[in-house]
Amino acid sequence: MARFDYLEPHSLDEALQMLADRGDQARLVAGSTDFLVRWRTGVWRPESVVCMQHVPGLDYIRWNPDDGLAIGAMATVQDIEQNADVRRHYPALAAGATAFAGVQVRNLATVAGNVCNASPAGDTLPALLACNAQCLIVSSTGQRWLPLDELFVGPGQTALNPGEILSELRLPTPAPNTGGLYVKHSPRGAMDISAVGAASVVSLSDDGSCSSVRIALGAVAPTPIRAYGAEGRLVGQQPTAANLAEAARLSAQSCNPIADVRSGADYRREIARVLTERTLRHAVATAGNAPDFADIRRLAVQTAW
Amino acid sequence: MTTEFKVLEQNHPRVDAYEKVTGRATYASDVYLPGMLACKLLPSARNHARIVSIDTTQAAALPGVRAVITGADFPDVRFGSGALRDRYVMPREVVNFVGEPIAAVAADDEATAEEAVELIKVEYEDIPSVVNPLAAMVDGAASVHPDLEDYEGYGFTMGHNVSTLLDADRGDVEQAFRDADVVVEDVYRSQGINQGFLEPMACVADVEPGGRLVIYASTQGPYPVRASLAAVLEMPVSRVRIVPMELGGGFGAKLRLAFEAFPALLAMRTGRPVKLVNTREEVFTMNGPRLPVTNYIRSGVMKDGTITAREAYTIFDVGAYLGAGPNSGIGHGIGAYRIPNFRLRSYGVYTNKIYVGSYRASGVADMTFAVESHMDHIAHEIGVDPYELRLQNALREGDVSVSGAVVPGNGLIETLEAVKERIDWPRELEDGHGIGLALCEWRSGSGPSTAAISVNDDGTVSLLTGSVDISGSDTSLAAIAAEALGIPMEKVIVAKRDTDLAPYTGQSGGSRIVYSQGTAVQRAAEDTVQKLMALAAERLGVPEDALGCEDGRVYVMDNEPQGLTFAQLAAASVTSRGGPIIGTASLSSMPYTPVFAAQAAEVKVDRDTGQVKVLRYIQAQDVGVAINPMAVEGQLDGGVVQGIGRALTEDQQFDPDTGAVRNPSFASYLMPLAIDLPEIEDVLIRVPAEDGPFGARAVAEPPGFGPPAAIANAVYDAVGVRVKQLPLSGERVLAALNGEYDDIPFDVAALRRAEGIG
Repeated sequence: MARFDYLEPHSLDEALQMLADRGDQARLVAGSTDFLVRWRTGVWRPESVVCMQHVPGLDYIRWNPDDGLAIGAMATVQDIEQNADVRRHYPALAAGATAFAGVQVRNLATVAGNVCNASPAGDTLPALLACNAQCLIVSSTGQRWLPLDELFVGPGQTALNPGEILSELRLPTPAPNTGGLYVKHSPRGAMDISAVGAASVVSLSDDGSCSSVRIALGAVAPTPIRAYGAEGRLVGQQPTAANLAEAARLSAQSCNPIADVRSGADYRREIARVLTERTLRHAVATAGNAPDFADIRRLAVQTAW
Repeated sequence: MTTEFKVLEQNHPRVDAYEKVTGRATYASDVYLPGMLACKLLPSARNHARIVSIDTTQAAALPGVRAVITGADFPDVRFGSGALRDRYVMPREVVNFVGEPIAAVAADDEATAEEAVELIKVEYEDIPSVVNPLAAMVDGAASVHPDLEDYEGYGFTMGHNVSTLLDADRGDVEQAFRDADVVVEDVYRSQGINQGFLEPMACVADVEPGGRLVIYASTQGPYPVRASLAAVLEMPVSRVRIVPMELGGGFGAKLRLAFEAFPALLAMRTGRPVKLVNTREEVFTMNGPRLPVTNYIRSGVMKDGTITAREAYTIFDVGAYLGAGPNSGIGHGIGAYRIPNFRLRSYGVYTNKIYVGSYRASGVADMTFAVESHMDHIAHEIGVDPYELRLQNALREGDVSVSGAVVPGNGLIETLEAVKERIDWPRELEDGHGIGLALCEWRSGSGPSTAAISVNDDGTVSLLTGSVDISGSDTSLAAIAAEALGIPMEKVIVAKRDTDLAPYTGQSGGSRIVYSQGTAVQRAAEDTVQKLMALAAERLGVPEDALGCEDGRVYVMDNEPQGLTFAQLAAASVTSRGGPIIGTASLSSMPYTPVFAAQAAEVKVDRDTGQVKVLRYIQAQDVGVAINPMAVEGQLDGGVVQGIGRALTEDQQFDPDTGAVRNPSFASYLMPLAIDLPEIEDVLIRVPAEDGPFGARAVAEPPGFGPPAAIANAVYDAVGVRVKQLPLSGERVLAALNGEYDDIPFDVAALRRAEGIG
């Protein structure tokens, strides 16, 4: 248990100043659900910890048709899981949130924290990627927008510079005829880290063909990844069983998994294929329908389909 | 028959329910003594190395640090879990596994102690090590204990790195195999398992002014802890007092000396109380779990389904030290069946990984997985229904058990029939669904058991035993006392005890509390009643045989209004010739009383991912008499939950090179959650035992044995593949579905040759 200075800013500006003063020796925490574990085990030993819990006004979740969904840095995973707009317009994200840990952890953990932690297995990350999330990054000198898939640079590593804070995630409003789902593969039905996670969001044109497809995978590469090859194979095509299966095959090819205590590499690749196909099928089948959250919750953690 | 009881066969809340529910029950970590120091441990970073030097000067110099100890500070004494003394409480020269504690610090607070531990500098010189038990048995492999033959308690040369070799033989095995119509052969392997108890080990050591050592501990076995602690500190047992605190789960992991010696020596060095509360990671990396078991099993079978021969070679990985013996390899090699010819061998093999510990009938779940999977394999080979095969070969009253004892009357057949009926076997199922069976066998546990009952002057009684409460056993003992005395449960006070107060008693484990300790309580109660009757006879002026005893009162049978209550008798006893009423009983050995259970699992298998989901689980167990049915079902359900974890998700993994535990956390060692479990349906079969309190049999162990085999058999029924390795992970089942599952290599010929067979 290494000692550290504990800092509690009361505004975003104050937090940015604290970070600016301490450079890379400071760690920003929101829910602290990752931090406490890694600090106790000695993996993280920051000189200072800047805790965002007392910064007001960052726990918002706002949706309107023009701007899409805005998720403030302090919105918890449970807030997202319970949000009616999220459930209605972003079923894949609702699935990612409900598959995440357990209720107690969801009540503390933030979505932005899950993003910044940049674990390849983070449960909200494939869904956010498949929903085309953009990141608003602020610092004491200004702000910038970055697509989420450019934020992840390695396991636990992001493109954030010292002194920068991810203050908001923005998800565009999906096209009218869109469906989506995230499915997590794990041996246990809750409180588990994904062996593999897959999210698909598909928009259909009036003629039934796929106008937009985003497929994202977790725990199969050093970062959460988009399966661009599989997406390209489907865009403009009819979502036939054969086409979806072929896309799933290509999706598995974009994986570069490791073997660890949870799973072997080949099994992860195979599961990525299965989950891609299942999420694609579900996205196509439910495109344009009002999503049923009970259904989503049942499907989100897959112990036996 | 249940109507004749006034207390038993009825649900009773636990006698300690108030303390538990209000959070006032006192665990070892709740003990705070004035001036108490905190203890932290330094784990070995190597799995086999000579300690060239340990430099503790920097750690000792840290402000707030009061003492630092290493193996050299302890007497040069080895101890063991049984006869074989193969282990130092803290290694002196050589470490044998990653995680083995090699130094301990006492400091003013935990953070300082932790900081000090990081300042200890250790220089190691690596020694060749071996991690895989099958490789360890080959001549030329690295020796875990090169001087094993000189250790106290070592028997004879049994093979390379072999700590123990047990055997059991009957009949003419070779001839029986030659005569068999079909020979079926399998190799099974089960995984490392953590006991998964809620409360990590904790203890507080204090030295009394007179120099006696007092240990407040989380333990199932205060007397064995006292004996081992006294031995490693070279003190007489009379100088040690163990106070067992509330037990937050043990399942066998807390039967013996754990880490108590470290705060004990630190308390002796500093003259201050010292507390050690282990972290979960320390529980996973320092305290013995179950280690993998590999089992070669072969049967000779006649076309009509009669099993005539069995050969089983079982290799128990015991890790660095023999923390628990491989007895179940022979004790459970033929299962609950009458097999006239058998050759059973059980090896305990040393490797450089954490030492093996006990867990809910150590090794029997592994043996049951092998034996009961093998039963289904036999059934499919000869085209017989797996239920019928079990029924046909099941042990019957009068058969001779594997240990040579004659099987008394029991409810084995009834358990099988009950499960068959409840699961509706056989039945057509939808694709991917399957049903599997398993039969479990165990015996009611024996061992030193004592009880004393004194009658209070308000008519209540105080019950004193030396056994630690485990899973509500105090409540069961109170019920037995109440039934035998003819008073309500509320009138029985169960005394808190320690090794100074209570009579010597064996450990709380091995399904022995209700059966053996309960018998002692019943006999102590009978002794109490007899003394009450004698006193009543004296006071009422009637012969004893004219008296009856009921509802807390002794009365004249011909004239019921004439009598004395227990309260009146207690008051009278104070001035009587015999003095205050105390009934006692003591015993060490109980007759062989088997326990049988039949179980059935219904599963569905995801053909694309290989994942298995348990949809229904049914168990029927012969409990003899249910002392407290609610508690019985709690035990049965808990066992099945642990068994389902063993079957599907729990997997203690070890680094193949260093033997280090790879998943020392509940985030990576996956015990099932409520969401993962089916409704568990319990059927209690009641064939009263000839011995045991009021006919009760042991309950605790068998429910955990069956799930791995029942689920593996159900997977086979569902998708036609047999996975012979635990856990039945999605990865393994999918590999089997794709035809990529490999059998486990096992050189049985080499083992036979070693003893001159074949």
